[in-house]
Amino acid sequence: MPGDVGRTTLLRFGWVVLLAILLAMVAAAQQPPTNPIDRWNRMSPAQRERELSKLPPARARLIRQRIWRYNHMRPEEQQALRERYQTFSQLPPDKQQIVRDRLREFHQLPQARRPVVHSEIARLRSWPEAQRQARMIGDEFRSQFSPQEQQIIRDLSAYLPN
Amino acid sequence: MEPRVSTGMGAAVARALDYDAELMLRVKEGDGASFGVLLAKHRASVIHFVYRLVQEQAVAEELAQEVFLRVYRSRSSYEPTAKFKTWLFRIASRLALNWLRDEKHERGQERLDDGSPDLPLRQVSDRRPSVEQELVYAVKRREIRRAVAALPEKQRAAVLLHKYEEMPYAQIARVLECSESAVKSLLYRAYETLRARLAYMETT
Amino acid sequence: MNCPIQSRNPERFVAYAAGTLDPETARALERHLAECAACRSIAADQTAVWKALDAWEAPPLSPNFDQRLYRRIDQEVRFSWWDRLARTFRPMPLRQAVPLTASAGLLLVAGLLLQHPGTIAPVAPRGEIVRANQVERTLDDLDLLRLLGTADSTQSVHPDAR
Repeated sequence: MPGDVGRTTLLRFGWVVLLAILLAMVAAAQQPPTNPIDRWNRMSPAQRERELSKLPPARARLIRQRIWRYNHMRPEEQQALRERYQTFSQLPPDKQQIVRDRLREFHQLPQARRPVVHSEIARLRSWPEAQRQARMIGDEFRSQFSPQEQQIIRDLSAYLPN
Repeated sequence: MEPRVSTGMGAAVARALDYDAELMLRVKEGDGASFGVLLAKHRASVIHFVYRLVQEQAVAEELAQEVFLRVYRSRSSYEPTAKFKTWLFRIASRLALNWLRDEKHERGQERLDDGSPDLPLRQVSDRRPSVEQELVYAVKRREIRRAVAALPEKQRAAVLLHKYEEMPYAQIARVLECSESAVKSLLYRAYETLRARLAYMETT
Repeated sequence: MNCPIQSRNPERFVAYAAGTLDPETARALERHLAECAACRSIAADQTAVWKALDAWEAPPLSPNFDQRLYRRIDQEVRFSWWDRLARTFRPMPLRQAVPLTASAGLLLVAGLLLQHPGTIAPVAPRGEIVRANQVERTLDDLDLLRLLGTADSTQSVHPDAR
């Protein structure tokens, strides 16, 4: 019936308008991802598989597994890591390499020393520069930490501030 | 052949095992509430099994979620060819063992926080432990976890199913998709290793 | 030298330690243990292992475990609604069906995007390809940066603060 067709068409047009409004809201809510993993997640599955297929299967599988772990982190943990990565990625390449080296050295410290060094890094990261420097030239700091530990603390607190 | 054990497996228990399969058949017919019952009944044991296997709490919960998701996805094709719990733990074992195999290939970065909170050992006495006792418990907690973590993955899974799920050898064999004699061998070697590693703790 | 009793039935010692041997077999074993030091040692060691494993408690579940699972199930079920949605537009002429079916699909995607921003994203624009080895390097950096994670999330007490 002509009347029925008109009503149906009007309803359907309403869907499209509603859809347009929703998409506009979604576009406003979406933040452009800067993290390569987040950008990777935005690629289509076909694009991702195409890239992974260029690697040996075992390596590709491992990458999938690691991405799965990243994607399944607790949201607050993932956000904190994302922010930390953003700070890190904005460093010049030579500083990035220093941070990588210090983190690896930190990982190689004796297990008993890691919580102490960790705690000091956390504290100094949140301090203003002048206070941080004052602490690090003090005798107390030098007596508590070995030269290697001092270097780790100095660089990580300097290049990865809170 | 397993030693004669007084398991108390009577008709009532057998009915309980069938009941899980019955619930799953109701899920197959679209009864979501039955899925909820199965979830409430088995989630803790699945998570605890996976946790002790992978020893990372966050990973354990995510893998356990995947286990129940797969159970739900399989509802339309579910056939009670095995006990429900056998099927459930087969899925859990597969996922956890695959995860462990993938994890083995990663660089061995020992994180400061491995995600596994240090829980207190059960204490027989209600007396507040002394500082010294707390230190001893902390060492024991770590040693138990390490001892089990050091077992090859399939031995680890077999011990956990045997100890915490109290599964007989035949059921473990169906879960791990191997023969009963293979399960006996896995458990023999695993317990031999654990005896060597943990037995000293009783004397400390 | 292994006792033949232990060699023939090693699982008996496990069952004995677990307290699951039937009384008759348990009594027979105990009579043997009274005479055999080697088996006595194994039984004692196995009992120690059993007690140690007994004492290993798993952490409590997250309180929102079920909620998260049901949300994931819900997302899967929602995709089956696609069929029902498409059915409401049948039968209709093709010139009406095609654009409206596409709109309904976009509506579904928009709904998911609003519910989980950042989780499911539209396909990356043409040209925005992240290489697998770049992903791998980022994962390496993220793993290193995670080492600093516990300092952000826990209130570790610095020795100086005591």
